[in-house]
Amino acid sequence: MGRYPDGLVRQPPRWLDRRAIADALVLRLRGAGQRLAIVFLDLLAIGILWVLVSYIISWHFHHVIAYSLVPWWAFGLGVVEAAALWESFGRSLGHRVARRELLTRGGTFPNFSQRLRHFLGWHLFVLPLVGLFFDPPLHERLSGLSPRSASMEGRTPVPWWRTSSGLFVAIFLCVGIAAAVSVTMDKESLTRLFTQAGRTVKFWKALFSPDTSILLPSIRDLLVTIFMAVIATSFAVVVAVPLSFLAARNLMRGPIGRPIYTVLRGAMSIMRSIEPIVWAIIFLVWVTARRAPFAGVLALWVHSIADLTKLYAERLESIDPGLVEAIASTGAGRLQVLRYAVVPQIINPYISFTLYRWDINIRMATVVGVVGGGGIGQRLYFYLKNLAWQQAGTVMILIVILVWAIDYLSARLRAKLA
Amino acid sequence: MTSDAAAAVHPKARVDWGALRRRFLSFLLDWMIWGYIAYGVMYFLNAYWWTVPLERFYTTLTLPSWGWPLAILGTLEMAVWSRNLGRSLGLRAFGYEVWGEDAAPTPGQRVRRALLWHLSVLPLGAGLWSSPERPWHDRLAGTELRLLPSPAPKRRKAFLSQWGIMALLLVVLTIWLGWLIIKIDLGVLIRRGDEGARIWLEMLRPDFRYFVRPDPVFELRNLSFSILDMAVVTLFMALLSTILGATFAFPLSFLGARNVMGFNSIGWLVYFVMRGLFNIFRSIDTMLWAVIFAVWVLWGSPLAGVLALTVHTIAALGKLYSEQVEGIDPGPVEAVAAAGGSRIEVIRYAVIPQVAPSFWAFTLYRWDINVRMSTVIALVGGGGIGDLLFYYKNQGDWPKVGAVVMVIVAIVWAMDYISGRLRERIA
Repeated sequence: MGRYPDGLVRQPPRWLDRRAIADALVLRLRGAGQRLAIVFLDLLAIGILWVLVSYIISWHFHHVIAYSLVPWWAFGLGVVEAAALWESFGRSLGHRVARRELLTRGGTFPNFSQRLRHFLGWHLFVLPLVGLFFDPPLHERLSGLSPRSASMEGRTPVPWWRTSSGLFVAIFLCVGIAAAVSVTMDKESLTRLFTQAGRTVKFWKALFSPDTSILLPSIRDLLVTIFMAVIATSFAVVVAVPLSFLAARNLMRGPIGRPIYTVLRGAMSIMRSIEPIVWAIIFLVWVTARRAPFAGVLALWVHSIADLTKLYAERLESIDPGLVEAIASTGAGRLQVLRYAVVPQIINPYISFTLYRWDINIRMATVVGVVGGGGIGQRLYFYLKNLAWQQAGTVMILIVILVWAIDYLSARLRAKLA
Repeated sequence: MTSDAAAAVHPKARVDWGALRRRFLSFLLDWMIWGYIAYGVMYFLNAYWWTVPLERFYTTLTLPSWGWPLAILGTLEMAVWSRNLGRSLGLRAFGYEVWGEDAAPTPGQRVRRALLWHLSVLPLGAGLWSSPERPWHDRLAGTELRLLPSPAPKRRKAFLSQWGIMALLLVVLTIWLGWLIIKIDLGVLIRRGDEGARIWLEMLRPDFRYFVRPDPVFELRNLSFSILDMAVVTLFMALLSTILGATFAFPLSFLGARNVMGFNSIGWLVYFVMRGLFNIFRSIDTMLWAVIFAVWVLWGSPLAGVLALTVHTIAALGKLYSEQVEGIDPGPVEAVAAAGGSRIEVIRYAVIPQVAPSFWAFTLYRWDINVRMSTVIALVGGGGIGDLLFYYKNQGDWPKVGAVVMVIVAIVWAMDYISGRLRERIA
């Protein structure tokens, strides 16, 4: 081929060139993804606002919960139309978040007819999603407009209340708070809040006149609580340390490592989202209420494993790779690299995270007791339920002292480690 | 540090209180360790030989009348001898070591030091008071308690030293003791394994029939909420308590910041009161607040949950905020003050711009916590989606429990993700 001048050789047609097709596809997909994300955000914001408004109206006037007040197709149509109007005739929230703005090719502001064409073209081409896969998308070709990155050069900054997005967010927040207030603060509860304060006077008094006769059994339960936290934390560490190496992105590469990483992180994330109390309920049914502290320990243990694995793994992901390479380049084996490059970097943070988690577990152990997980929490809940205010106050004082002491101790130790 | 400076300025004020305190704490640590070991030994004796019924031992720590002085003196002696015959855990923790005259002490010196300690420290610390830096027992035995440099030189393997063995012993003791106290029984997990498996399997087949439609079983309780409704209520509870909490914590945090308040005695008083209140209110958990408010307002009303979350949020955010205010760069504050700004103007133009990003980050972090807490606060009468969870659990309706748990996981996950992304953007 090299013997002939370039123009004489028949090149294959451009639409058959694989690389060109791939490039065009990536370009279009990326453009479509960006525009879809903007549309999705606008639809979501308007939809939630609508839901909140209906929520307030239905709750106040009909005393039921209704999320749209209109048939589903009317809801859909309204939201879509509102989003199309907002995107064409103003700078919508989606554009604002993506730091884009609808401008003409020349970079000037669009006029009304261009905006109108954008609005109509939006319906024709974006709703069936077809138009988005052209470059530029068909509705933007029709109107000559496209979302470009907005620059503030040579423009006076507009205060937020003069922009549609700023106003929208303000209205959104106000409506959200109004809905939250209307659903959580019903008349009956509010009245009782102001008339029934006397019910707690006994409790506040009890805080200053503790019942010393229950002191010893309470301290025994306090010990149980402390041991629950200690046992749960130490057994969680034993499991979480090896797991953390499997859950660190930088260590788990390749076709086997990456799936393990993904599955492990996902599982830990789910386990972490379930509060220890819920775990305690499940374990209580399993091991029966007769072994209450054991169920509490299991609950704390599971939650601590998930939490510690995440913390440890994140720390492992941020180790300095230079040291690892330096040790590896001396011909050290995997174990030696681990021993001399990785462990010295992680040992102090690991201890510090463990102390932090122990601190949390002490607090959690008191709470887990409330569902019958044993320890001081169970005793406190028993007194509170039976309106034994003086005893409840005594136990409360003990808990405050314990939490305070542990908080102080763990903070001091962590400061020393850092 | 300060006492060193004081000693340099006033050569006569030679009592180094910091060093005395360290010595005392180090000794106290050893004493407590031996006390703990004694407690463990007594516990094992009772657990395995039944000298006293276990429940009675627990409740009264039964000891004969001569037992208490014996226990106190015995542990004291063990602490003294362990500190002198080797390097005990208390010495190691505070970086101390017993030295002879520029060499390791001879066994004779160690024994003499231990014996003389009784004469020097037990009579109200007479030997310590007269010469704190080198007490009588050290002088007479020709020894000295030295503070090692911070990365201490390695002497021998940790597991061969006294403190290493002691630390290992404590770990074993603690786990063994905890195992007995909590009555851990791994067998029950297997013996009741079919029950556990049934729960898990039923929860993994979630029943979403009443996700949008209210569950008819609640008509008895005059409630008509579906899982979705309760999820929304839960989110509203978290939203409202975070906003309310942040609104109250924001002004209060300035009252709890040393560099804003510490100009006169009234300011200091306000500072200490605020910090104390933050700490006390913070150490009572949200769940316990919820019980109080549930009794006060109405059991199961979302308002009780909102109030409980709000109180805890105010205390927690107040502490975090005020620590941020204390950590600001004093330069801008001085600049605004020098330009004649009042206290309010100083806060407005010099403090708030510096702390605003971290305030937002803390608020988002707290929002995250509040979402988590509001999903379970119903247990103690706080309202929200937990109400369904605990109702279905008491009914033994595990497929519905599974559905609610999955909704909770979805909510917490989504909020975690959103707040994480927002915090990244702020930082």
